[in-house]
Amino acid sequence: MSEIQLDYAKPKLLNEALDIISKSINPYILAGGTDLIDMIKEGLVQPDMIIDLKGIEQFHQLSFKNDALFIGAGVTFSELIESKIIKEHFPVISELSRTVASLGIRNRATLVGNICSAVPCMDSGPLLVAYDALIMTVGPKGERSVPAEKWFIGSRKTAIEKGEIVIGISISSPGKHGSCFVKLGRYEGEDLAQVNLIILALKNYIFKVSFGSVAPVPVRAKKIEQLINGKVITTSLIEEACKLIEKEISPITDIRATKEYRMHMAKIMFERGLNAAVSRLNGSGPEYGKNLL
Amino acid sequence: MEVSKYVGKSTVRIDGKVKISGAAKFVDDLDFGADLLFAAVVESKYAHAIINSIDTSEAEKFPGVVKVVTGKEFPFRFGLYMHDRYIFAQDRVRFVGEQIAAVIARTPDAAKKAAQLVNVSYTELPNVLNVQDALKNDTFLIHPELGNYQHVPWFFPKPETNISHLRKVRKGDTNKAFKEADFVFEDTYTVPRYAHCAIEVHGTIGLFDNSERLTVWTASQSPYTQRHLFAEALAPLGLTHKDVRVITPFVGGGFGGKAGVSMEIIGAALATTVKGRPVKVLWTRAQEFYNTYQRQGLTCRIKVGVNKDGGIIAMDNTLYWDAGAYVEYGANVVNAAGLSASGPYNIPNVKIDSYCVYTNLPPGGPYRGFGYSEFLFGLESHMNEIAKNLNIDPVEFRRKNAIREGDILNYGGKMNPNGLIEAIDKVAEAIEWGKKEYSDDPNKAIGKGIALFWKAPAMPPNASSSAFLKFNEDASLNIMISGMEIGQGLLTVMAQIAADVLSVSPDKIRVETPDTDRNPYEWQTVASHVTWSCGRAVERAAIDAREQIFDLIERALDKDRTSLYLENECVKSRKEPGFSLPLRDFIINGIMKEDGTFRGGPVIGRGMFMPEFSSALSDPETSQGGKPNVHYTVGASAVKIEVDRQTGKMRIPKAVLAIDVGRALNPNLIKGQITGGLLQGIATVLYEDMRFDEKGKLLNASFSDYKIPTALDIPDEIISIIIETPQPDGPSGARGMGEHTMIPAAPMIANAVEDALGIRIKSMPITAEKIALTMVKEKKIDLINI
Repeated sequence: MSEIQLDYAKPKLLNEALDIISKSINPYILAGGTDLIDMIKEGLVQPDMIIDLKGIEQFHQLSFKNDALFIGAGVTFSELIESKIIKEHFPVISELSRTVASLGIRNRATLVGNICSAVPCMDSGPLLVAYDALIMTVGPKGERSVPAEKWFIGSRKTAIEKGEIVIGISISSPGKHGSCFVKLGRYEGEDLAQVNLIILALKNYIFKVSFGSVAPVPVRAKKIEQLINGKVITTSLIEEACKLIEKEISPITDIRATKEYRMHMAKIMFERGLNAAVSRLNGSGPEYGKNLL
Repeated sequence: MEVSKYVGKSTVRIDGKVKISGAAKFVDDLDFGADLLFAAVVESKYAHAIINSIDTSEAEKFPGVVKVVTGKEFPFRFGLYMHDRYIFAQDRVRFVGEQIAAVIARTPDAAKKAAQLVNVSYTELPNVLNVQDALKNDTFLIHPELGNYQHVPWFFPKPETNISHLRKVRKGDTNKAFKEADFVFEDTYTVPRYAHCAIEVHGTIGLFDNSERLTVWTASQSPYTQRHLFAEALAPLGLTHKDVRVITPFVGGGFGGKAGVSMEIIGAALATTVKGRPVKVLWTRAQEFYNTYQRQGLTCRIKVGVNKDGGIIAMDNTLYWDAGAYVEYGANVVNAAGLSASGPYNIPNVKIDSYCVYTNLPPGGPYRGFGYSEFLFGLESHMNEIAKNLNIDPVEFRRKNAIREGDILNYGGKMNPNGLIEAIDKVAEAIEWGKKEYSDDPNKAIGKGIALFWKAPAMPPNASSSAFLKFNEDASLNIMISGMEIGQGLLTVMAQIAADVLSVSPDKIRVETPDTDRNPYEWQTVASHVTWSCGRAVERAAIDAREQIFDLIERALDKDRTSLYLENECVKSRKEPGFSLPLRDFIINGIMKEDGTFRGGPVIGRGMFMPEFSSALSDPETSQGGKPNVHYTVGASAVKIEVDRQTGKMRIPKAVLAIDVGRALNPNLIKGQITGGLLQGIATVLYEDMRFDEKGKLLNASFSDYKIPTALDIPDEIISIIIETPQPDGPSGARGMGEHTMIPAAPMIANAVEDALGIRIKSMPITAEKIALTMVKEKKIDLINI
């Protein structure tokens, strides 16, 4: 392994963290570190300062108040899987978190870190987009809350501004709803998604559909939502929706899958995910966590 | 007369505790203190290029750098079976990642950074990245010097081509037989390259001390072969075999990847340039993928002639191997596969051409299965297709044509005793062959597939093993061998063999990993031959010690020698039930006579084994004559899969493997091999493969994109069936079985997919993606209408 020279700080207060950032030339923020440390090792980034957020207590907050869920920047995927709040109000977050990497990584990696790295195959992006989540930041210009759809700008590019830190994610509860996260991997072991998809089925058959890993940023499938909103799900409706998938997503061919397979699977995943979300809304359907593929 | 007390029992591994407790040392764990230097290599950016110049001046100035070494210092050609490679590239590079130079520095980081400062000027040459291009008439020659290369007598290179070896088999009259056959079936199957993916990467530390002896610590399956190649390659520096010492601690997985010599030559050579200081070379995971041996790719064109009744009368199998930039080891894979590419079938007329083809991809080499996994994918897929066309049950078709004891092999010898028919029957029964099953899930189909397998050790006819065995004061034993423990349980089984002969329990026996100064000769731990061969050497060493004991008792105590036997660490006599002399009372210090003098002394056993019946001499045009293979181990395997018609994803509810091991020396270790081998084979068919870009660069040199199975990917149930038809020349009748367990995996999955979905996939791997897209293409499912 290479020797790397850099400074490391683990502030206890948010202001301290902001101060260190403002004084550093090339600061990088470390939450779980599961992406950052690899990037440093491979020489992809050369920080002069790493600011470890785990010492800041408020970043570990995971709460549900006034119908809004708050996930602090330091909350790990394992904590999301274990959380009673998540199980009760947002079981799909647990369903998703269980598919992220492997146990050791989930014990360190954070959902906020995932959306800050913002690689196209991230699992958390489509979730935030489907829920119209807000990404809460603080920086030299004060606090901001950025809607998820505006957060993702491109592959590995987000709306974060210089000197800013993401504090956490806020998700308003859409009320009673069924939901489903489906992820395509190459085998049963840990894998980066070749396609992922989240579907929310709200009351009165209002749907939220978002795809990941089939475009540089998560895709909110609004044309499909418009088509199926308020309707009873039938085979012919799904067929029609599947035709729209070809217009909504633009998968590429790479070493993990061809665009043809990604497109094919997106349709199958949509059908299975939609049926599962609807039956879960109605109190039946597969248990959360069951792999539908 | 002797009943085995230990052989045949599932003795707990003697190296188990040190491994699970973390006490076991691997090469990277060894401590060399503050003097240790580190080397990083400068690698070729191109698949094929002329090296114009190498400028090391900037690297030499880098703080911490001790020395920069280039190919100029080692202009020696070397190799195992063919001398076609250099320690560092000379005037040209032949694959992306090939070592051109090395920087030795006081820290790994300084070495790595300075290596980036070495400036190599290249002139690119045309790339030859596949077998088709390599065989064109106007192709670019990758080794223009091929005609001058030294090689073993059983290789037949074709100078002025990219064919480094052609193994030809001609048995019977295939032309006539194909004309007479009722049906002829022909097809082409392809297999990509694969990586071994041992959890421990390759690493080596070389020390050329001030007395000018070279010690090399390696992660290896082949310490003696390494010593030999180091001594041979570095002979121009004045080194002889006695000056070279190879020490091999525990190894974290080999699978063929740590056989022979790959990167270890770099550590050995570099050490000679920094006398008195140890220098370490440790591969990264990426280097592990692109600069060790890879399993070679194969294109196999197979033609089979059959009669209406299902009897196979002729086979023509042409194998084109993508052997990579250097074939010093890989050409023997091509050779071995060529001799056996008819599979375990009795076919009177056989023609095989097995081509070893140079390409500008990383060097091919040994990988568990040694070519048999590759050709059996096509062969066993094809057998199913033939059976289907003839409307014969695939199990019945195999049963009818399966090779039996005494049948004539491709090179003219006779097939050894074997339980292939028993294996077929038992596997068919365990998988409930003939019972069509249906999934509860309407999207899913259940299919069953079967494949037969065989494999012989591929080794020089004089490959031998030897063993020393020495008693200690308390009658405990140290056994010294140079067979490697690579996870298969060799140390335990060797202890069991000696334990039976000497009546000393295995927990009083220590078998250590090799040090060529201390442990006697072993060719290599490869070819699934080491239990068989090293086992015979250990057995003979134990018998040698026992006979010394009996000699002494006869001489010192005047007992009838023929009545003596060993039991519970005592010498006993059938004639005198009251006589029982503990070994510990005399085994080192002898037996005192009445006058106070002693007879005896430390008992040290010695044993060796060489298969004196083997010969590699045969007619190059036909392969007739000689006895290149010491024995074949055979078996059958079957699988039940549940596959999703839409997604192509597959679950394996049940896998069964039956193998004739001759004698199961340790049944639990055999079950371990069956489980591990099946899983490794299943991974090669379901998701592994190596991908290269159009410039010959490996695209998936990491576990992010080269997937190996996890605990979640194991079949729900694995049934291991052990068959025991004794091998007359094996220890207690045992024969090799380690590699064989992965060989049938690919075709049996392919056959199960065909059974479940009615699609025949002729290229590996058979990924979910390939299944689903084939289903769409063949209109078995509709893309939109799901």
